[in-house]
Amino acid sequence: MTVRLIQARKGEKRLILKTVKNLVVAIIALLLLESCAKKNVFVLLPGPDGKTGRILVSSGGGEQMLTEPKQATTVKRPDALPAKPFPMSDKEIEATCGEALTALPQPPVHFLLYFKSGSTELAEESRKMLDKVLYAVKSCQSTDISVVGHTDRVGSREANFKLGMERTELVRQMLVSQGVDGDYIDTSSHGEDNPVIKTDDEVPEPRNRRVEVVVR
Amino acid sequence: MKRVFRIVTAFILFYPVCSVAADSPVGSIKTLKGKCEIIRSGKEVDVKTGSRVFRDDHLKTWADGAVSMVFKDDTLLSIGPNSEVVINDFHFSPAEGKLSIVTRLLKGTSAYLSGIIAKLSPDSVRFETPVAKVGIRGTKFAVSLDGD
Repeated sequence: MTVRLIQARKGEKRLILKTVKNLVVAIIALLLLESCAKKNVFVLLPGPDGKTGRILVSSGGGEQMLTEPKQATTVKRPDALPAKPFPMSDKEIEATCGEALTALPQPPVHFLLYFKSGSTELAEESRKMLDKVLYAVKSCQSTDISVVGHTDRVGSREANFKLGMERTELVRQMLVSQGVDGDYIDTSSHGEDNPVIKTDDEVPEPRNRRVEVVVR
Repeated sequence: MKRVFRIVTAFILFYPVCSVAADSPVGSIKTLKGKCEIIRSGKEVDVKTGSRVFRDDHLKTWADGAVSMVFKDDTLLSIGPNSEVVINDFHFSPAEGKLSIVTRLLKGTSAYLSGIIAKLSPDSVRFETPVAKVGIRGTKFAVSLDGD
């Protein structure tokens, strides 16, 4: 009877020990997993021109400024201080947000077409520019094109708004006649209000007589 | 008098609808892969290259998805698989001094290349997440949120 009781106690002890051991292993595994798990990562990257800007990551717990290429910080919780900035390798960046980075498209392309004074006639040097615009539309497979008309300050503000719209319409028609879908193009005029070169009223300025085309 | 009342009521009822319809797109979808959708006013909208994106739209992807868009100010935004981002605010009227771009990543991964608004008025650019917000002084960054 006593022997059996002792044996049973021994079995119980073994069972408890085994359970504790399993629990410890589980806790260690969980801790390891936690440290390897994906965190909330913010990483600064060089822009398309090779230059790196700055980002300020701020949470309820404080903020960190990232200034170096491939510098990163992590934020555990909304009330936690963002971690001290650390460098990330290309491999780590790829593993963390590679698919989003791959999906990022090419930046839009801007073109300026200049016009003769007070008219909707393209300036000599801008005639060939239209081919470049068309090439960009095709190569970017663009479905989102903005055409914005501008003028210099010769003439009234109202007349210039209208002239800007006429210049825009001309460029739009030229694009459509070359096979660009008109639904992809939005047009607007800033008249004389948005000059590249600021001038007094009634001053002719060829650099302000322009249509800007953005191919996105 | 009754007729006036009716017209006024009709105006009040339909005014919000009119103003939504008049809302202009903030940008368009540039690339997409796998299963993606736009959620507009709680409804799923089919998405393809060139689809217009509006304020308050959610872009959402599933396990095999990735989608990118270009804003009217040249800002580029993409999300990877199992991700969701919402366009909270966008104003691009430099002539009127109205500039604002606020996006919020709700889950998943995202990459961002800032555009003209960040150049003209850096304080008008905000990229938010549930844990922290990003102030942008140019130009490119990526974010990955813990997949809980």
